[in-house]
Amino acid sequence: MSDTTLPTTSDNRLSITGVRRLLPETATIFEGAFSLLHCAVKGDQMYRGVFAVLMFPIRHPDRYISLRYTDEKDKVGEIGVIENLSAFPKETQTLIQAVLKKQYHEHIIHRVYGVRHEFGLLFFDVETQRGRQEFIMPWRHDRAEDFGAEGKVLLDVNDNRFIVPDVLALPTKDQRRFTNFIYW
Amino acid sequence: MTNNDLLLGRVPSELNTRPEVHNLGADACLFSVRSDLTIDGTVQDVWVVVTQTKIFTVPTHSQPTALITGPFLLKDAQKVQTRHTVGSGFLQLLIDGTYVDVARYSNARREIFGKVRAELERLIQGHPLNTEALVHPSEFACTKCGLPLPARRAVCPRCAGGRSVFFRSVGLMKPYQNSIVLLLCILVMGVGLDLLPPYLTRILVDKVLTPKENIHWLPLILLGLVGASLGRQFLNVIIGRTSSMIGTRVSKELRERLQTKLMSLSVDYYDRHSAGSLMSRVLWDVEYFQGFVWQVAQGFLLNVILVLGIGAVLFMMNWHLALLVLLPVPFVVIGTIFFWKYVYPQYYRLSDSQSKMSQLLTGLLQGIRLVKLFGQEKREEQRFSDSARYMQNARRSVEMSVATFNPIMGFVFGLGGLIIWYAGGHRVFEGHLTLGTLMAFFGYMGMFYGPISAMSVFSNWLTGFMSAGQRVFEVLDANVGITDEPEATPLNNINGAIELRNVTFGYDPYSPVLKNVSIKIEPGQFVGIVGKSGSGKTTLVNLICRFYDPQDGQVLIDNQDVRTLAQHDIHKHVALVLQEPFLFRATIMDNIAYGRPGASPLAVMDAAKAANAHDFIARAPSAYDTKLGERGAGLSGGERQRISIARALLCDPKILILDEATSSVDTESEQEIQKALVRLCKGRTTIAIAHRLSTLKNADVIYVIDEGKVAESGSHEQLLELKGVYHNLVRIQTELTRLES
Ligand SMILES: Nc1ncnc2c1ncn2[C@@H]1O[C@H](COP(=O)(O)OP(=O)(O)O)[C@@H](O)[C@H]1O
Ligand SMILES: [Mg+2]
Repeated sequence: MSDTTLPTTSDNRLSITGVRRLLPETATIFEGAFSLLHCAVKGDQMYRGVFAVLMFPIRHPDRYISLRYTDEKDKVGEIGVIENLSAFPKETQTLIQAVLKKQYHEHIIHRVYGVRHEFGLLFFDVETQRGRQEFIMPWRHDRAEDFGAEGKVLLDVNDNRFIVPDVLALPTKDQRRFTNFIYW
Repeated sequence: MTNNDLLLGRVPSELNTRPEVHNLGADACLFSVRSDLTIDGTVQDVWVVVTQTKIFTVPTHSQPTALITGPFLLKDAQKVQTRHTVGSGFLQLLIDGTYVDVARYSNARREIFGKVRAELERLIQGHPLNTEALVHPSEFACTKCGLPLPARRAVCPRCAGGRSVFFRSVGLMKPYQNSIVLLLCILVMGVGLDLLPPYLTRILVDKVLTPKENIHWLPLILLGLVGASLGRQFLNVIIGRTSSMIGTRVSKELRERLQTKLMSLSVDYYDRHSAGSLMSRVLWDVEYFQGFVWQVAQGFLLNVILVLGIGAVLFMMNWHLALLVLLPVPFVVIGTIFFWKYVYPQYYRLSDSQSKMSQLLTGLLQGIRLVKLFGQEKREEQRFSDSARYMQNARRSVEMSVATFNPIMGFVFGLGGLIIWYAGGHRVFEGHLTLGTLMAFFGYMGMFYGPISAMSVFSNWLTGFMSAGQRVFEVLDANVGITDEPEATPLNNINGAIELRNVTFGYDPYSPVLKNVSIKIEPGQFVGIVGKSGSGKTTLVNLICRFYDPQDGQVLIDNQDVRTLAQHDIHKHVALVLQEPFLFRATIMDNIAYGRPGASPLAVMDAAKAANAHDFIARAPSAYDTKLGERGAGLSGGERQRISIARALLCDPKILILDEATSSVDTESEQEIQKALVRLCKGRTTIAIAHRLSTLKNADVIYVIDEGKVAESGSHEQLLELKGVYHNLVRIQTELTRLES
């Protein structure tokens, strides 16, 4: 019963009842009124106001994208899952990338220039994909959690997400500044 | 969040030149609020402008003419919501049956946009703006200095004057100040005794041995030496005993304080922290406090006094030579700085490895069946071995650093000694210095370097202590979450009325699980709650027991807000049987009588009988004295549930809540329990959550919860007539029973 013996192909028996695969042949994705994403699936209704969620945001950040919608009762439902976005036409890819950007707002830390500890808070001075930036986080174990095997996600005082994808990939000095405080 | 993020009745003046703002005319602006993101996630200031008829956004910088979104006419909007995605949120309007993004904001603006949402809702429903609610200052930042607060409405650590781990630890020693003062006096006396022997040697060499006279002084001087050594060791005994007495007491008290604190922390703390990591703080980190007094007194203060004392003596004897003695001191300073910078952090990793290992072990031991069932022993061995290697590496790097550091310092001191031999030797030869003084000089010098290298041992200990202390204080400082008000209303006798008034609650405050729920339960009613799993039934119960406080609305028991009652009182009158029964590693008797330790054996049996547990207990060889394993191992799921029902019944609570308490019990036993409950429930409010609807047939009222809202309510018959969700559930279940029979 171990997971290593499960067939890795997607056509095992479970797929009969499993998630719906969205393929270029069956799903048409386009932009409609109010620049909302629409998705039409062959043999099913048209969905409006579609958004996308990554099913494995850490392990497979560019695959397994679940397309979702909100129904008239404010309940969220799944249209289906795109296993491999590159199978879709270029325009569709751009559209999906855009809705994914809406779903995730994260700061990826490349450099750590300084960490100061005061009043139980850590004052970070870092470089992210958006440039140099400062943030404050409480120095507590539950505010810095594992992100993948060697990464950490820091939650600042406002719950904004700052991600170090791989602590060991930081320059040595930055790594030391970082692990001096975030050592767990 | 600063106040100029929100402007009432106007648009920021820098936007006045924009056509869309310029052309507002008679359509007066109600308020504008600043967001920090554009819809596509670019970090930029964007103003959301709300007028009497519409809402639109304007960016402050680039794209001078572009409206990023809008204008949306308020009359077109049916609803408004905030949708929280990962790291940011959207303000959305429901237009033509679809939610349309109006503005996006980072998590830093969640609070203000939550208020904006509430106001837009009022506007859409045709109510006037509630300005007061909108401008209410943030509860997550200090109103004086703006520092973010550790929790809502908490004390500002900066304004309260926070102190470091070390000084707080000194504060812990306050109750023992008399013993500590005594200890310090003894230390000073000890230093005096320590300084005596080299002085005596000097006399011995210069006055007796070198001139070869006064031989009768010899035994006297030797006697002095013996006395000094004896006195010194005697003082050591007192010092050791006193500091051990204080140390063991402090660590015992600290452990107790931690345990008390852990008990007082609200359950949501435990949602966020692992038992293993908390255990390692109580067990291992507190150990460091044990040595605090001894280390600070013996390892630090004693050495400082010694260094000062000896330094003074050295300078008095011969200041030229004394200056040479100081030569290695700069190296010591450099070494210590190095130590703090590089070795200190390694201690963190060491204790992290300990805490990771205890987390791994607790998980592994609790889930042992699962591991075996899925045949994952090999993988678990690997995981454990990884964790053990992490621990090994962490410890090795600490010990290797220390093992390298100390000999290097030793060598530096050794060099210092050689310089003195050289310079001092010359002076003796030239007759500037007596041999005895040189000998005494060496004696003192050895004692001078001793404390300095002992200081490195102390800083070694201190590094470990600081890191452990930080973790201990992290727990002690944790926000209790749910506290009693100072003048909580005592609750001696209650009728058992329960009311939820417009309750909105989410474990994450920004994504509600219960949405505007109102329920009114009369005293003595038997109330059923049904709903899909994950719909919020247990959450509802959690709020009634005040494990959590709602973000909005009120929970009332006997018409009193539970926040004004002492938690202790609530739990005295409310008994809850949990979905997953928890039994302690103790006898069945102890488990049933847990809430009423003094209960008589007959009372315990009565409770067990009512819970339909008496018969299976009687069958065990030791009956009520049967000892249960961890978490009730040795019993079936249904048997465990019945024991936990008995435990609740024994407390004779005014309010009894059964959260799927009979889900693992067979239908026949369930009916027995049901019959007993009906008889016992007279004069007691009972809330039963169940999936088997037949259990709830006799309920006075049944609430159907769906997606965090009350979808339907009424008696069994009324709900059947409604032909809604409940009717559907009953239909499905009767079909199922037909299938079974
Ligand atoms: N401690 C918790 N922390 C975060 N979310 C929780 C917690 N407990 C329950 N939830 C979530 O709240 C929702 C309602 O849960 P619950 O009230 O336990 O449902 P049920 O109706 O099955 O008793 C679920 O979506 C669940 O995932
Ligand atoms: Mg539940």
